[in-house]
Amino acid sequence: MVNENLVKDVVKEPYKYGFVTDIETEKIAKGLNENIIRLISQKKEEPKYLLDFRLKAFKKWQKMKEPDWAGLGYEQIDYQDIIYYSAPKQKEKISSLDEVDPKLLETFDKLGIPLTEQKKLTNVAVDAVFDSVSIATTFREELAEHGVIFCSISEAVKNHSDLIEKYLGTVVPASDNYFAALNSAVFSDGSFVYIPKGVACPMDLSSYFRINSGDSGQFERTLIIAEESSSVSYLEGCTAPMFDTNTLHAAVVELIALDDASIKYSTVQNWYAGDEEGIGGIFNFVTKRGKCLGKRSKISWSQVETGSAITWKYPSCLLLGEESVGEFYSVALTNNLQQADTGTKMIHIGPKTKSTIVSKGISAGNSINSYRGLVKMGTKAKGSRNYSQCDSMLIGDQASANTFPYINSQQPNSEIEHEASTCRISEDQLFYLQSRGIEFEEAVSMMVSGFCRDVFNQLPMEFAAEADKLLALKLEGSVG
Amino acid sequence: MEIVEKIKAYKSIDNQSEIQKICLDKLQLSPLPNPKSEQWRLSNKSKFSNFLDYSVNEKDLNFDAPFPNTSQSIIRLVIGDNFPINLIEENYSITQLSEDKLVKYIKGQISCFDHNENWSDLLNLSLNCSKNTLGLKISGSKIPPIEIFSNASSNSLNAKTLIIFLEKNCEIDLLQVNLGKDNSSLSQSTFLCLEENSSLNHGVVSYGENKSNLLNSLNVIQQKNSEYNLGSLHFKFNYARFEIRIKQSEGNAKTNIKGMQITKKDEQISTYTKIDFDGPNGFLDQINKSLADDKSHAIFEGSIIVPKIAQKTDASQLSRNLLLSNFAQIDTKPQLEIIADDVKCKHGATISQLNEEELFYMRTRGITLTEASKLQLSSYFQEIISFIPVSKDRWDLLDKLLNEN
Repeated sequence: MVNENLVKDVVKEPYKYGFVTDIETEKIAKGLNENIIRLISQKKEEPKYLLDFRLKAFKKWQKMKEPDWAGLGYEQIDYQDIIYYSAPKQKEKISSLDEVDPKLLETFDKLGIPLTEQKKLTNVAVDAVFDSVSIATTFREELAEHGVIFCSISEAVKNHSDLIEKYLGTVVPASDNYFAALNSAVFSDGSFVYIPKGVACPMDLSSYFRINSGDSGQFERTLIIAEESSSVSYLEGCTAPMFDTNTLHAAVVELIALDDASIKYSTVQNWYAGDEEGIGGIFNFVTKRGKCLGKRSKISWSQVETGSAITWKYPSCLLLGEESVGEFYSVALTNNLQQADTGTKMIHIGPKTKSTIVSKGISAGNSINSYRGLVKMGTKAKGSRNYSQCDSMLIGDQASANTFPYINSQQPNSEIEHEASTCRISEDQLFYLQSRGIEFEEAVSMMVSGFCRDVFNQLPMEFAAEADKLLALKLEGSVG
Repeated sequence: MEIVEKIKAYKSIDNQSEIQKICLDKLQLSPLPNPKSEQWRLSNKSKFSNFLDYSVNEKDLNFDAPFPNTSQSIIRLVIGDNFPINLIEENYSITQLSEDKLVKYIKGQISCFDHNENWSDLLNLSLNCSKNTLGLKISGSKIPPIEIFSNASSNSLNAKTLIIFLEKNCEIDLLQVNLGKDNSSLSQSTFLCLEENSSLNHGVVSYGENKSNLLNSLNVIQQKNSEYNLGSLHFKFNYARFEIRIKQSEGNAKTNIKGMQITKKDEQISTYTKIDFDGPNGFLDQINKSLADDKSHAIFEGSIIVPKIAQKTDASQLSRNLLLSNFAQIDTKPQLEIIADDVKCKHGATISQLNEEELFYMRTRGITLTEASKLQLSSYFQEIISFIPVSKDRWDLLDKLLNEN
């Protein structure tokens, strides 16, 4: 048996992003009603169609019931006890980064996010979102030269209203689900990306979401549109301070890929997960969906989910265009009392569409880690294919790993393959590595990393290294 | 509420058995399964209500045997034929369970029923009378194979219950045949209890005629070192549900399941399995095949539950499906729920049509497309059929299936 106590002695790495930035913020009153929604819309100086969109979503949300099918155990959320808009106070308009509150820059600096000039060398354009607003977006001029629009969604509403009106809510309609409706009613900020026809985005784009305030929820909305023959790689990261209370995060991400376009969306989710007793942590209820509208279009989701007390997230692909491709690569790690119910939906509508699902779940401590996925072949999806692989690794005998793949086929001329397995860290392999002089922790970390290799290979360079490190840190002290 | 009223109208309170009363009380609280629950959400609502349409019937009329004649080496029993069973031979004994033991056992079962999961059993037990319940206690070895028949009469809803206790070290082959008649509904609930070191090769063959419906529920409890092999085949039902619940109560037991369902026209046949490992060193090998043609719908949902206590469990589940028509539909959901860490669990699922390359190869060798398809289907069927005990020599199921397809 692997020595239970061996790693319990190892000093645990605290959540290093758990600090709070002391900054003056502007918050509106707690609660949710029509007036609050009008107030948010007014603060953001939004056109009427958007206010209508919000109000309509709110009406739908009021009639909806919070979903309970995932069987996640958490205390009832009091939606009237949340602040739906919180923004750091700053000058009205910012023309350059120099005008951004240094405290904010310092915060992102501490998080390792390159906002300031000297760090721009990394060649990743960043949109930094702090609570409800976007603070800064870097590399905008360089991107503009290629016709790429990368800005906060609030700015896009002002400057590219036609695109917003045309595409917002077309992939994830306001009535899609409870949390999407809530987001549609109160979304505060998020990123907007538009890649024009024939442009391969010259650099990776990235959004960084930071929750700072303990009593406000974060409801960002991201919209990415890739025109014909364009391509983009988008990275998303998130952290939050440590609070004893739970914070709600209900985001919506919509991707649209037209003919021959490709979008790669990578996430490293490291929201605060709560302490060992399960106190505090983020409730992460996210709706992410991509629409492969065009022929031969491709949408690829890759995610590393390590944070959040509760994760409820199913990045999906609607494969409408002929020969379109959907991919989902995921590593979900849960420890202590975390609960994750995550997976994907691949809806094959067009002919000759293809999808691949690779999901790796690691559960440690007393956590629950479930894969829940849907693969559907519609009647017109002739010649379509799906391959799914879901592997779970259990660490300790208190953690739980579940797999719920829903498969539905209405097209005989299509193929679906699904396989799933469950394993643990093999004692033989551990023994071998240790006999070669590798420390116990390092050996475990190597094996976890090997288990996740299929997914890490899909991550952009910057993320792959970070993800590896993140998993090692998260697991520290949990392997016995 | 309708179904409860129907049963009550048929049988007044004075005539109800204790079990019937308990089940009716439970049904009264919520008469139908929740259509949104995982176990019932895919069930065709109109077909299901058609199941309940027929009037309750306790008598079987004109039961002629559409199956091969019995041979001396086989014990044939028909549920509902009211004759006492008391076979005591040198090596074995097959006796009828006493009323007390039956009631006690069923009451124990009912106490752990979940309304949605065990709705079929609740219905069965509230409909059924002692005449249509067969309870057997089997012990010994070298027991001749047993065939047990359940059937429904036309234009009626029949309920049959089978309870078998397999005593220690007992080994037996059992074939259960469920027959549906024109416009009929059959509710069949089976409870099997395998004691230590016992072994059961169990076959379940269910087929209907025009517009037959079936709710077939199978509950198995396996004590340690027991072995349970199940081969099942369901076809020709307008609506059929086969629910399998197996519990390895102390682990250390072996379970092999090979099941198949074939749907045509606008039929809907579904299989739900739930395997609970309540102890360590359990073993499961399961394969479920579906074939859906025309406008039919085949469903498979299988769950494997491995709690903390079930260390060293080795479980695998495979769902293989053939979709042969543009209008047919297949749903499959193999699922794993695992807490123990030292386990080997895997599942797989595939949905496809007949292999084109193989068909092409056979055609280049001069075999017609029809023949080539039949050959492929026969190999697909054979794996399951060969696993069904008793039937092999006397029931040409393969031939029957191929001629029907």
